[in-house]
Amino acid sequence: MLEEKPWLMSRRLLLKVIGGGAAWLSLNKLTTALAQVSSQAVEPLPGFTGPEANPYWGSVGPFVIYPQKLPLIQLTDRPIQLETPRHYFLTPFTPNAAFYVRWHLDEIPNAVSLSDWRLFLEGNVGKNLALSMSDLMSQFKPVSIAAVNQCSGNSRSRFQPRVPGGQWGNGAMGNAVFTGVRLKDLLESAGVRPGSSQVQFEGLDRGRGPEGKGSHSYLKSLGLSDPVIGETIVAYEMNGEPLPMLNGFPVRLVVPGRFATYWTKALTWIRVLTEPDANYWMSKAYCVPNTLRGNTTPKDVNEGKVEMIPVGTMPVRSFIIAPDGSGKIPEEMPVTVRGIAFSGYGSVVKVEFSWDGGKFWNKAELGENYGQYSFRTWQTTWIPKRTGKYILAVRATDERGNVQPDEGVWNPGGYLWNKIERQEVIVGAAK
Amino acid sequence: MGKASHIIIGLLLVALSGTVLAENEIPGLIRSGQYREGTLGSVIQPGQVQQTSDGVYSVGAYPLYTPALAQGEGREVVQIFCRFCHSTTYLTMQPPLPAAAWEGVVNKMINTYGAPISEDSAKQIASYLRAHYTQTARKP
Repeated sequence: MLEEKPWLMSRRLLLKVIGGGAAWLSLNKLTTALAQVSSQAVEPLPGFTGPEANPYWGSVGPFVIYPQKLPLIQLTDRPIQLETPRHYFLTPFTPNAAFYVRWHLDEIPNAVSLSDWRLFLEGNVGKNLALSMSDLMSQFKPVSIAAVNQCSGNSRSRFQPRVPGGQWGNGAMGNAVFTGVRLKDLLESAGVRPGSSQVQFEGLDRGRGPEGKGSHSYLKSLGLSDPVIGETIVAYEMNGEPLPMLNGFPVRLVVPGRFATYWTKALTWIRVLTEPDANYWMSKAYCVPNTLRGNTTPKDVNEGKVEMIPVGTMPVRSFIIAPDGSGKIPEEMPVTVRGIAFSGYGSVVKVEFSWDGGKFWNKAELGENYGQYSFRTWQTTWIPKRTGKYILAVRATDERGNVQPDEGVWNPGGYLWNKIERQEVIVGAAK
Repeated sequence: MGKASHIIIGLLLVALSGTVLAENEIPGLIRSGQYREGTLGSVIQPGQVQQTSDGVYSVGAYPLYTPALAQGEGREVVQIFCRFCHSTTYLTMQPPLPAAAWEGVVNKMINTYGAPISEDSAKQIASYLRAHYTQTARKP
């Protein structure tokens, strides 16, 4: 039996979502494979956006084919960054084959032999461990959690002024049921020695740059006293299947509520440190201003006034997935407006919908609760009474009372975007 | 048959064809049967691969889909140095950026990522980016 913890999935829900043997078959009932749509199929999107904000829901790159993936939106091809098209978010769980991809360095695995691969626990521990995939599955109690994985730079293309970096639309996120072993169980097994401060994670996200530089290896760390350590798992299954190679096969770290920068893919070394990790990926990259919402200005950055700290928890967000503006809506036809919401700070308790651009709000109906770190679907029925242009808007509130703001954010890394989302739709005559 | 009957049959046919046309007029149908060459291209499906039952899990090589860089002075230097760690899709993906932002990017590659780029080459790279990938210079 799985333990009943608020952040873990109950056995009842787990069976419902991924079933017993035919996991993928039952998951298919919750996921549909649809691509991005338009009311025409002749004119291409522009090849880039800017200097204004990207006005589209997703990024503007072409659809491309990668191993174990359906056509996804290309950001870059070496290292690989692929965005999930909008319509895969109609369901609470994002199919593995459509789950977005973001690697930092270019020497990433094409083939891994589980006969030789081991997960190493080392550093300030009582006993070094080298665990095979079979050891992980048989020697430790499996736990499952539904958790949102979102890139820190999701929606970076909304920033004004624009900032360099992966020009993501909204699709650098996904939700999956991850199954694996607790990080705590692994650390206990190795025995953390006194004087330890952080745990460092290194995967097979490596490059050809010089050792000691950011281009050599992607290294991330979490503080041992950080409560998230107790909820973190080393996952060998994603939505009831092995992880796709591009999503971190054989195992990846799952750090619920935190941005994906900490979710080390192809995790191979867990290292207990006695000193705070000062490597590039902790001290320079993925840092945000130590201000409210991580907000600042280009002027303050240039004047050196901004203290930067590592990015952490995901602020509350919600999205309109349908209607997507690709077709007109006939007046007086009831429309099911659908989407997802999530927050790294706790369960989404309220989603509000507006059809007048955010002047008046009405509560939407929430879908099944798969745990506080999962996507929560929402829907509402809207009957447009008159023809014309409408601006639909959605905003979510989490259990800590965090509400999405109606202001954007600006910081040099392009992180923490969570402004209220809007969708323009045209209502046409029906008589 | 006489001339008159020909005229009558002719008139009847005109009347009939008129009726047929009227029957084909579907209220509200604005356009139909329109096609044109697909200009957005098609995506070829990948073939299936034989798997083995040993411990090796393989996905083969990852495909590159790298757009061409703008022609101009400094393009070769950009290709030599920038492509050492990443494809130039990292460049073409960016929005038009101010020259200072591009210089910042080049410096970051040298200082924090350890890219072995000489001062002279760095200047050529920054100058190429300024000439083609800033707001005033960028071509669709």
